[in-house]
Amino acid sequence: MGAAHSASEEVRELEGKTGFSSDQIEQLHRRFKQLSGDQPTIRKENFNNVPDLELNPIRSKIVRAFFDNRNLRKGTSGLADEINFEDFLTIMSYFRPIDTTMDEEQVQLCRKEKLRFLFHMYDSDSDGRITLEEYRNVVEELLSGNPHIEKESARSIADGAMMEAASVCVGQMEPDQVYEGITFDDFLKIWQGIDIETKMHVRFLNMETIALCH
Amino acid sequence: MDGAELAGQILYTWLTLVLGLILLPSAFGVSLGISEIYMKILVKTLEWATLRIETGVAKQSVLKNSASVGIIQRDESPMEKGLSGLRGRDFELSDVFYFSKKGLEAIVEDEVTQRFSSEELVSCNLLTRTNVNFQYVSPRLTMVWVLGVIVRYCVLLPLRLTLAVIGISLFVIGTTLVGQLPRNRLKNFLSEVVHLTCCRICVRALSGTIHYHNRQYRPQKGGICVANHTSPIDVLILTTDGCYTMVGQVHGGLMGIIQRSMVKACPHIWFERSEMKDRHLVIRRLKEHIALKEELPILIFPEGTCINNTSVMMFKKGSFEIGGTIHPVAIKYNPRFGDAFWNSSKYNIVSYLLRVMTSWAIVCDVWYMPPMTREEGEDAVQFANRVKSAIAVQGGLTELPWDGGLKRAKVKDTFKEEQQKNYSKMIVGNGSLKSELD
Repeated sequence: MGAAHSASEEVRELEGKTGFSSDQIEQLHRRFKQLSGDQPTIRKENFNNVPDLELNPIRSKIVRAFFDNRNLRKGTSGLADEINFEDFLTIMSYFRPIDTTMDEEQVQLCRKEKLRFLFHMYDSDSDGRITLEEYRNVVEELLSGNPHIEKESARSIADGAMMEAASVCVGQMEPDQVYEGITFDDFLKIWQGIDIETKMHVRFLNMETIALCH
Repeated sequence: MDGAELAGQILYTWLTLVLGLILLPSAFGVSLGISEIYMKILVKTLEWATLRIETGVAKQSVLKNSASVGIIQRDESPMEKGLSGLRGRDFELSDVFYFSKKGLEAIVEDEVTQRFSSEELVSCNLLTRTNVNFQYVSPRLTMVWVLGVIVRYCVLLPLRLTLAVIGISLFVIGTTLVGQLPRNRLKNFLSEVVHLTCCRICVRALSGTIHYHNRQYRPQKGGICVANHTSPIDVLILTTDGCYTMVGQVHGGLMGIIQRSMVKACPHIWFERSEMKDRHLVIRRLKEHIALKEELPILIFPEGTCINNTSVMMFKKGSFEIGGTIHPVAIKYNPRFGDAFWNSSKYNIVSYLLRVMTSWAIVCDVWYMPPMTREEGEDAVQFANRVKSAIAVQGGLTELPWDGGLKRAKVKDTFKEEQQKNYSKMIVGNGSLKSELD
């Protein structure tokens, strides 16, 4: 992060914006530099260097989420070409655990933010609704590695899940009523009362800088 | 000139000391105990330095002295547990939660790439290169550090360079001389003597302290010795205790000269670069070698590349297809005294050797393990994994299924599909598909 004093100003600013401690920020900065090859920004191609990520069936969606303008709070649709360290931290902050010392309102807000991140991952065309096509797309990606599952099974799984979502959100439908898609409010309704905490956070350790000699 | 005479005198005394105190004892395999005293003093100094740091600063050290220090606590629970929590029926939106969390964990900290950079030390060892975070604590400590730098660069480095030069030249001369003899018992005996003496000198050149454990399991003739790979020094460390047949590529330059002279004294297997690609040719030559039971054991590093000594990566199955008895050996360096890992993308061989020669010492443990053979119904890959686990357990290293070649290449598609297969098995296998949907 440089030896200049202005760097610590930046760190404090980032601390305030994202909620990470300065040591965590420093560690993440090192990781950022490793991923970007010492460049100031990261592009999509840089994520190809993470072997552990290759195993993940939805890696393309995860990588996409880093560049999604909605997650970066820079717009309502579209993808950025490259992100800098602040954007990197913004995305990371979606996965911070919910602090137990926060009050009820803040907890709800955090939860909503996390669910919104997930919603954006499903809603790839940014129209505010998860349509049947988009849902099918996600299921197919999750199951894509297995040659024994035909496309039909994947589709029927998606259809079944969509039906269930529809019954939760809209209730009984008329026979010719078409369910257009899950909106964000419907999405929240599905998750009401269910604790997503353990599923959607990454435990960042408290780093104490070891005082070491030369 | 007085100056020249003085310099001449100093040089003369210096060489005599070196000869008397180091060369002769190592030729006979005897130790005068000077290095032990040196190590004791070193350890005491470093402990004092660490203590000063810890009392000098109010903070406590929170990080464990573990092999890899990470920033996140990974959720190690298997996929089934991770997904089952919110699962009410076959498929839920929640599964995406699990995978995005895993994906983010991978992006923040990735097990594999960590292994290709040097281990970060938790305690103090007065070497800037292994401690990334440092703070100014006290003038006394800084003085000790300055003294350390002077000692390392001005006293130890010239000594070690001298020894290295002597060692290598003796080796080349010795093997060439021995190579003149016809192939008989005397030649083998002499070549062993030359090998061992020169290796011992070279190890002293690095201030190496090696502890051999379980020497009763030393690799026997006609077997294959398999070890984890951290740096080119591994070869030196193993050959100090016994002679092996090396396998490897032909190099140019100094390495090439050493290789060619080695071949004169006893048969090693050197390949041209083009031949290495032809796996069958390689395996055939190795098989021929083993078939002659009287030959020295072959030394192979199945990882294929240098790893940073905190873990053991995938063993390539080629070495395990040859047959014969495998003698596993685990090598673990003590990072406190010097970092032995060769990061070939960061340093070339010369700067690497210079770094090693200006560290305090190279301290390592070598464990010989009981021989293993391939069992009935076990294929080469499973056998390789079995040997790898044994070495990892013995050396106290973690085990990773990843290929060392990832240092330079990308993940193979077969690995990527594994996880997806597991996941889809869970979806389809557990619940019943709602087939009445249409």
